Amino acid sequence: MKRLTYLLKETLANIRLNRTTTVIAVGTTAFTLACFGVFLLLYLNLKGVVSSLQEDIQVIIYLQDGLSGREIAGLRQRLRKEPEVGTISYVSKDQALKEFREQFPSEQDLLDGLRANPLPGSLIVTILPQFRSPDGVKRWADRQKGLPGVDQVQYSRDWIESLEIVIGYLELASVAIGALLAAASITIIASTIRLTLYARRDEIEILSLIGATRAFIRVPYLLEGAILGATGGALSVAILKGGFEFFKSRLGASGHFLGVDATFGFLPVQVSVVLVAVGLFLGSTGSFLSLLQVGRTKS
Amino acid sequence: MIQLFHVSKHYQRRRALSDINLHIEKGEFVLLMGPSGAGKTTLLRLLFCSETPDEGQILVQNRNIARLRSSDVPYFRRTMGFIFQDFRLLPKKNAFDNVSIPLVVQGLSSVDIRRRVTEALRAVSMEHKKESLPATLSAGEQQRVCIARAIVNGPIVLLADEPTGNLDSDLTSEIMELFKAINARGTTVVLATHNAQVVEQVKRRVVTLNQGQLVSDSGGKS
Repeated sequence: MKRLTYLLKETLANIRLNRTTTVIAVGTTAFTLACFGVFLLLYLNLKGVVSSLQEDIQVIIYLQDGLSGREIAGLRQRLRKEPEVGTISYVSKDQALKEFREQFPSEQDLLDGLRANPLPGSLIVTILPQFRSPDGVKRWADRQKGLPGVDQVQYSRDWIESLEIVIGYLELASVAIGALLAAASITIIASTIRLTLYARRDEIEILSLIGATRAFIRVPYLLEGAILGATGGALSVAILKGGFEFFKSRLGASGHFLGVDATFGFLPVQVSVVLVAVGLFLGSTGSFLSLLQVGRTKS
Repeated sequence: MIQLFHVSKHYQRRRALSDINLHIEKGEFVLLMGPSGAGKTTLLRLLFCSETPDEGQILVQNRNIARLRSSDVPYFRRTMGFIFQDFRLLPKKNAFDNVSIPLVVQGLSSVDIRRRVTEALRAVSMEHKKESLPATLSAGEQQRVCIARAIVNGPIVLLADEPTGNLDSDLTSEIMELFKAINARGTTVVLATHNAQVVEQVKRRVVTLNQGQLVSDSGGKS
């Protein structure tokens, strides 16, 4: 117990010893992890948007004019046998016209001038989740184009695919920038610990001469690095949260992205904890690298 | 207790010790004499495992310390006490905390630490200054604290490198009386000095080194 108290006291003494470098190390780690966190926030939110959009993926099969009820039922029957198909709903020509009028009341004049209803009947098909890959939906939709009674097949994959490409790039950028900034953070924490080691070199030698093991001498410095890293990590989460709330309030106030701000979410608690843990890991690694030079000699 | 067989040590091209043979019995008080650069400090550093010999063997309690693994060195050092000329006290810790460190390192309980540190400080007549920081103590008082730190874990051997080098004649006399008292309790003492007053006062075995060679031994079996 006394030993533990001693080690903790020494750790705090180390932190107090080089206040300026401590602040710089914590600040750098916080900045590093906040930059990484911004990418993470973008990545997670876009991924969320894509997965919610994927849930709504529908394939609309427009039917040729003049199909009898029996032919439509036959087509539905045939589609229901396909393993990819979840639900099928039929929208008749009249229903389509009614929905058009409801959705676009200002365009009533366009339709009034026409003698016949120009809108086709359609079957709206949802694809089961396991078949919602970009290729899977495309292949299925293409297959339906040749069916008797089918005029056109449409699905809203194009821009979701583009979004997935953006997410892929974002993933790459996160890893590259994260690695670069992590190296910077480790270097700065290592330098901070090295300064502490230099300032306390006499004490380290005395400890060694009175029979302290390497582990006993090293623990306060490892703890110091871990504390600096974890503090930086926690600070980065606070910065991200502040920035996120500010951004969200500005987005809501502008009114340009009505409803979109409601779908944006902050990092889940688990991810925030991981961010602090990454800070702790970076700090410990920085300390460890500095300590490699200590204790190589016996004295 | 301590045996050196044909021990040599070089620093680059300079010969620090050459073919030293020395036997020290348990409970002996040995003074290592010689001018600066004679090899006294090197010999003590070898005994304390701060250095390893280039040639020869060193046995302490029948253990060959020249072959000690670096991970075993801390445990070996816990059986010894070391006193420096420049005291080497931790400046931000008071006398009590400085003396307690060897025991904290060993993981003793707070109760044991308090008891043993108090005893050690009492043995060097520094109990009343246990709260004082090193900077507020005189040179003699700092050396007393240093001695208390060296004896607090009950070492079998006490090594001292010019412990009176920074002290005046009166303080030297006081400190040497402390060493004699520690030796009288059964601790083997090996003390390096070039102070004739110390030799005169202690009147024990004197081993003289010069330019890395053992030139005389007043009472041993070297």
